[in-house]
Amino acid sequence: MITVGYAKHSDPKVAVKRCAAALGGGRPQMLLAFCGGKLDAHAVLGQLREEFGDVPVFGGSAAGAIGRDGFGYSGFELGLVAFNDPDVAPQAVVTRALLADEQAAGHDLGCAVREVAAKGAVVLLLFDSVVSASPPRLHHASSIVRGFHAGIGDKAVCLLGGGLLTDMNLSGGWVFDGEGVLKHAAIALVFPPTVAVDTVIMHGCRPVSAFMEITRIDGAEVYELDGRPALEVIEKMLGLPLGGTRGQELSLVATLGQKQGDPFGPYDENAYVNRLILRADPATGSVSLFEPDFERGARVQIMSRDNSLMLESVRRGIAVANRDIIGPDSLLALYIDCAGRGSARSGAPIEEAELMLRGVASGVPFIGFYSGVEIAPFADEPSRPLDWTGVLAVLRRLR
Amino acid sequence: MATSMPIASLGQLERELAYYRRECNDLGSRLLRLQEEQSQAFREARRSRTVAKLIREAYRLADQGSTVEQIGAPMLEIIVENALCDGAALLKQEPGEEGTLFRITHTLGPTAAGPVRVPSPPEFFFTTSRSSIEPPTYELTSILRMPYVLWAFDRSTGNALILGNQSESNVSRPFEAGDQELIEGALSVYIDVLLRKRAEMELRAAKAVAERASEARARFLATLTHELRTPLNAIIGFSEMMVPESRYVLTTQDQLQYSAHILDAGRHLLELIDGILDYSSLEQALPLLSSEWLPAGKLLADTSNIVGGMARHREVLVQVRLPDQPMEVYVDPLRFRQVLQNLLGNAVKFAPAGSIVEVGLDRGADGRGIFTVRDSGIGMRPEDIPRALEPFQQIDSSLARVTGGAGLGLPIAKGLAEAHGGCLLIESALGAGTTVRVTLPPERVRIRPMG
Repeated sequence: MITVGYAKHSDPKVAVKRCAAALGGGRPQMLLAFCGGKLDAHAVLGQLREEFGDVPVFGGSAAGAIGRDGFGYSGFELGLVAFNDPDVAPQAVVTRALLADEQAAGHDLGCAVREVAAKGAVVLLLFDSVVSASPPRLHHASSIVRGFHAGIGDKAVCLLGGGLLTDMNLSGGWVFDGEGVLKHAAIALVFPPTVAVDTVIMHGCRPVSAFMEITRIDGAEVYELDGRPALEVIEKMLGLPLGGTRGQELSLVATLGQKQGDPFGPYDENAYVNRLILRADPATGSVSLFEPDFERGARVQIMSRDNSLMLESVRRGIAVANRDIIGPDSLLALYIDCAGRGSARSGAPIEEAELMLRGVASGVPFIGFYSGVEIAPFADEPSRPLDWTGVLAVLRRLR
Repeated sequence: MATSMPIASLGQLERELAYYRRECNDLGSRLLRLQEEQSQAFREARRSRTVAKLIREAYRLADQGSTVEQIGAPMLEIIVENALCDGAALLKQEPGEEGTLFRITHTLGPTAAGPVRVPSPPEFFFTTSRSSIEPPTYELTSILRMPYVLWAFDRSTGNALILGNQSESNVSRPFEAGDQELIEGALSVYIDVLLRKRAEMELRAAKAVAERASEARARFLATLTHELRTPLNAIIGFSEMMVPESRYVLTTQDQLQYSAHILDAGRHLLELIDGILDYSSLEQALPLLSSEWLPAGKLLADTSNIVGGMARHREVLVQVRLPDQPMEVYVDPLRFRQVLQNLLGNAVKFAPAGSIVEVGLDRGADGRGIFTVRDSGIGMRPEDIPRALEPFQQIDSSLARVTGGAGLGLPIAKGLAEAHGGCLLIESALGAGTTVRVTLPPERVRIRPMG
């Protein structure tokens, strides 16, 4: 059995106690915690030990959390998942080497998971998203995931997960690694073969430009689109000069999207891989993407975050989940929600998280967290990092 | 096969494509800008709803019975959540230091350790990346240890609110002059609720005092009736027996004995009425204290003499312990003598025959004067001490009958000691005697000046 708790309070003790009360007592096999960035991580961990004893705690910081009773991204939220039944409790694998080399750390993690995972096992990957706040630098999910896939080799698993942030400003991130609080770490929770997962991915971006070719790129730094400085192209689209600190505001406005499949097929929200823009550099005329997985020659479009489309997508996703996925064998509905989708950032008049917590069928334990990046199986291909999405993952017990 | 439509030339198709691309980009650009304007408007609206939400939540908190101190933290939570800032603190101006020192009363996030000094604190201030590092920028940014702050200060109450951000852009846009409404509104709500809560607490305290006074009055009346009736019954009863038309035939011895009873009862009545008058005039008398410097030795000796007769009668020795150095105390002669007289009278009354009652004055390390009255009488249980300080609350009523008194001596002494800025404390244990200490503040005690 899996139970969940959600609370919001500036005092870590109160937040933990309220969550613990919601979990209904007992001593779980493992705890998964999503902890608001303004709560003291060590105080939360200390209080969790006070309440639950020496139970291993995994998870980490979250820009916010979402529960049945509420949601928020003030930094005082706490979401807890208790795995009480050893038959469905995951096994944890940790790497603490993201700072040195993300891809190598991902590879090590993949190798370690390969040792303990059954074929097709569900693996929940959570990692510290932030290398440094100033200048803003992220741990790239695409590097970690690429390394992970290489490490796991032919033992295909169902990988999903998210990047951990302390807030929407990308100020920091940290991980509960089962022992303490760590920076630059990633954890993989490997579920037993008795557990399967179904995911619904919700989007919200729409192309607002014709196709453009990336003519110069280095890692996550896009220098040129159609042979012109990328920043100039985007500035022209927005009609306002960027650069300096305002460059960061780009992540509030537009993304670059790469359409999968037939480029001239009808619009399908599920066909796009979006990349948020982390910052702009007026000196080089470049923009820096959240992930370094676009390549030279890729045809991309400038995408607008369309709030009504996002809400529509959530409504549609909930309907699909309730109709086709959630059932008597469902164990947990986990919502991995891009922090940018919160109204404070997206400017959406309705909080999509609220639609989600109200809409998901009431029979299944539900918890969510605001993430920096989402990882899920996409377009019938191995899992990959996504931006500006909401991923609803429903774990179920296999009979 | 021939087609009915002319085949467009490649050049024409390219032109057409270029047209659609241009239009697509142009429309897309407009859509993007509209979308962003709409988002920005919503974000600002959300921010501006902070005060409204704060009002709703703050009054709910106040009504939920939180104390004044408990209101600050949840209010900061609401402000931080809506303004989406990285940290916030409530501050209170400290008295003195020309109003430049502020104590942090509540905080979310790291803050400076200890009070902070803000010379010429402004009523509204904010910093941006263009702010120069000069007062008060340096002082204000050090409070939350964040470079971008928004500050409001209410001079009339001395309360201040500060919000802070680590970065200037992204979700948290740079602070601007338009944020004055937000921060001042939030501070006003806090101050309103604080004052309301404080008034509510004062009202509650006043109500509790009034209830206690009402209970005391009811007890006073009940005891008074009883206390007055007992000696009056004795006076009337014995007088009836002694009047000429009485059916009782009294011997001279009887008449002498009954006259003595009537006299005792009359004196007891007088003592009772004096006590009642003293106690009931206590409140009016307190503001009218007329203090002067008196030699402590003489004060102690005079009081000791007053109870001397009763002490001899009860075979109790009163020992006066004088301080090493001649000292003076700044007290109302009449009222403070009454304090010592009541305490000494009680001590003599409850001390067993042949015992010693000690009265003395010491100077505390901090300069306070400590009068001590110690007896080795019946004492009382520690839990009964608070009751002994209430009027008409003699712990053992049977003993009261024997020793007399209306149970007003201690409450009067306590009230008068407090009126002198001091306090009265009792230490006692059943069967081990009682020590009463009356402490006067340092400014009311001095070494007797030479000459």
